[in-house]
Amino acid sequence: MDSKGSSQKAGSLLLLLLLVSNLLLCKSVASLPICPSGAVNCQVSLRDLFDRAVILSHYIHNLSSEMFNEFDKRYAQGRGFITKAINSCHTSSLSTPEDKEQAQQVHHEVLLSMILGVLRSWNDPLYHLVTEVRGMQEAPDAILSRAIEIEEQNKRLLEGMEKIVGQVHPGVKENEVYSVWSGLPSLQMADEDTRLFAFYNLLHCLRRDSHKIDSYLKLLKCRIIYDSNC
Amino acid sequence: MKENAASTVVFILLLFLNTNLLNGQSPPGKPEIFKCRSPEKETFTCWWKPGADGRLPTNYTLTYRKEGETFTHECPDYKTGGPNSCYFNKKHTSIWTIYIITVNATNQMGSSSSDPRYVDVTYIVEPDPPVNLTLELKQPEDSKPYLWIKWFPPTLVDVRSGWLTLQYEIRLKPEKAAEWETHFAGQQTQFKILSLYPGQKYLVQVHCKPDHGFWSEWSPESSIQIPNDFSMKDATVWIFVAVLSAVICLIMVWAVALKGYSMVTCILPPVPGPKIKGFDTHLLEKGKSEELLSALGCQDFPPTSDCEDLLVEFLEVDDSEGQQLMPAHSKEHPGQGVRPTHLDPDSDSGRGSCDSPSLLSEKCDEPRANPSKFHTPEGLEKAEKPETNVTQPQDPQSTSVEGKIPSFHASGSQSSTWPLLQPPSLPYPRSSYHSVADVCKLGLGTAGAASALLDETDTHALKPSQTIETGGEGKAAEHRESESFRSKTDRDAARLLPQDKSPSISARPLEYVEIHKVSKDGALALLAKPNENSGWAERTSTPESSKEYSKVSRVMDNNILVLVQARRARDLAPLEEPAKEAPPSVPQNPAEVDLASFPAAPSNCRLQLGGLDYLHPTGFMHSFQ
Repeated sequence: MDSKGSSQKAGSLLLLLLLVSNLLLCKSVASLPICPSGAVNCQVSLRDLFDRAVILSHYIHNLSSEMFNEFDKRYAQGRGFITKAINSCHTSSLSTPEDKEQAQQVHHEVLLSMILGVLRSWNDPLYHLVTEVRGMQEAPDAILSRAIEIEEQNKRLLEGMEKIVGQVHPGVKENEVYSVWSGLPSLQMADEDTRLFAFYNLLHCLRRDSHKIDSYLKLLKCRIIYDSNC
Repeated sequence: MKENAASTVVFILLLFLNTNLLNGQSPPGKPEIFKCRSPEKETFTCWWKPGADGRLPTNYTLTYRKEGETFTHECPDYKTGGPNSCYFNKKHTSIWTIYIITVNATNQMGSSSSDPRYVDVTYIVEPDPPVNLTLELKQPEDSKPYLWIKWFPPTLVDVRSGWLTLQYEIRLKPEKAAEWETHFAGQQTQFKILSLYPGQKYLVQVHCKPDHGFWSEWSPESSIQIPNDFSMKDATVWIFVAVLSAVICLIMVWAVALKGYSMVTCILPPVPGPKIKGFDTHLLEKGKSEELLSALGCQDFPPTSDCEDLLVEFLEVDDSEGQQLMPAHSKEHPGQGVRPTHLDPDSDSGRGSCDSPSLLSEKCDEPRANPSKFHTPEGLEKAEKPETNVTQPQDPQSTSVEGKIPSFHASGSQSSTWPLLQPPSLPYPRSSYHSVADVCKLGLGTAGAASALLDETDTHALKPSQTIETGGEGKAAEHRESESFRSKTDRDAARLLPQDKSPSISARPLEYVEIHKVSKDGALALLAKPNENSGWAERTSTPESSKEYSKVSRVMDNNILVLVQARRARDLAPLEEPAKEAPPSVPQNPAEVDLASFPAAPSNCRLQLGGLDYLHPTGFMHSFQ
């Protein structure tokens, strides 16, 4: 009986060991260690990070484009909003490259910080966009659902970018530069025309900036991961 | 003064205008920028459509303004993009910037400007088609052959730096086909096609799309000829299939060889041959033809079983020895064992001549009753209980058919024997003989029910009829029978009814049957005699040549009636009457009903009769008594 009890104990201990080891293994698969920049064995995780970031940025731009087209079709026909939406994005104060050559000349760390700046600049506007679209009469579900999705994905992209920066440019405490958005009062205007234009402008700027981020990230990915040989 | 001046000015203007109009010259029409496109997101081109040129040389200029700038620029390049175009090179192209572009048309008369077009290069990207599309047929050793399609991205697009990400789509079709087969290839610049038809010439095209832009045009077609021997399958597969099918064939052949017969029997059940009641095949085999034939009472050989059986059944009303006429009511034909018991070697008991088709002839060209009718006897027989005393049947029958066949019980014992054949619509419950005739008659209008019945009995309903004879037919059977007939023969019933309803016995449709032959002992073989439609009254359709035995001269052996010729009509009438009056006597003299008195077949029912008549047994009985 005694031997039986001890064997039982051994069995349970073994089981426990097995369980713990499994947990540890699983954990190890899930979280990859952060490695210093330049270390070869870190490329894999950076690649994954960039892949995910590119996927997110591509997705966000698709949503923004659809949202803008939907709004344009429903509310902005014949109002000539485009003529007024010149030079009216709040992120234009952030100097970002305007074509491929300029972008390729920017160092990737700078480019990364630019990306982060744009992403951060949109936290607030996206939050208010969701709130205000909900308050619109006949809140269009196509626009509202996309706005909610963009807001969430933007947060995730920001986290991913910060991780990438942590790997590519570790240790540097960057000053968080971003543009402040002050378009909230316009979104809440009583005058429908003004309010609609405020929405139009916001969506137009969102579409543009999401495209910008997507392009920069793809450039960076090919440059950093594939050595400009995508 | 002022008025003069004003009018002068107006006049001059009008003159000027007229002059110009006469010349057909006018300021240019308004141009329109209809397309702006960037092939690689680094440059772009805009095209405009000129308006009416007013028959004067018109000069077009394109001016633009950029977002965030205040001054207006003019188009840097009017040539590269072709006529009426403006090409913006890399230096002049800014992404994520709105261009406000306007085209001005100027001629001698005036100028006009187009509407401003707001262009952001970000959203007008449409690349050129992919280049260097190559097709190659590959047939590797250990794998399936395929078509390998390769291409390169358009030259201008910078994919390597990631500035643009392209996705490709290929399409192919056999040269003569109408529809293209499209495949999405993702970001790869090659594709493998596995399913191809040998001997065909294929055309292939490819186009691409940037990550946030428009699809390009299709590349020029590339073609390739698939050789005829382009085998798409492995030989081993064929070998395997061949071996498998050979094995299966062998197994099937073996199975068929072993169980061939039973399988064939299962699929194609053998057609039951006619069984002759009382026809002992063993006797036949042994070659005792004489004995056999005598047993059957046939004068000729081979016997025609049908009539034989039916006749026999009708005739055999032997009750005294408790002979059961086919007590077994089952579906099977009564075994030969049963038959022989009834066989009397002397067989004057009217076992009909075998060569008289009698009522059972198929030659009855009545429209056949529908199958339900045919089957009713069988159904009935099935339902009938085998218990049977010949003596018995009378009462149950009478009661059962009371509602339907009121006078059914009139006939003697023999009537009880064939309730099956009694058509319910006929109110007269004659003897079964009669009923057969009646049925046949009814069958006139209803497709020869009688003949049908008889035919039915021919093959294997003889057994049922035998069972009926035994009197086993229960009420249920009777009802069933009557009902089935009723529905079918209403018309006939109606037709026949008037005759039936006549109180006089003479109105009862006595049917004459011809005596087919007379055995050496004087036994009669009776046949249903074909009568005209209104046969009842006539009773004259017997051919002159036929002998008619209608008078009983004597009884032999207690079970054989010897008939002699007599005038039919006269004789029958008196016979009928006594028959009716003597129902009680019926059960007493079952033996006397050896003669089958088949009712005369309706005229239409061309039953083959030998020109002999059958008499109604009731008449005989009465006379005997």
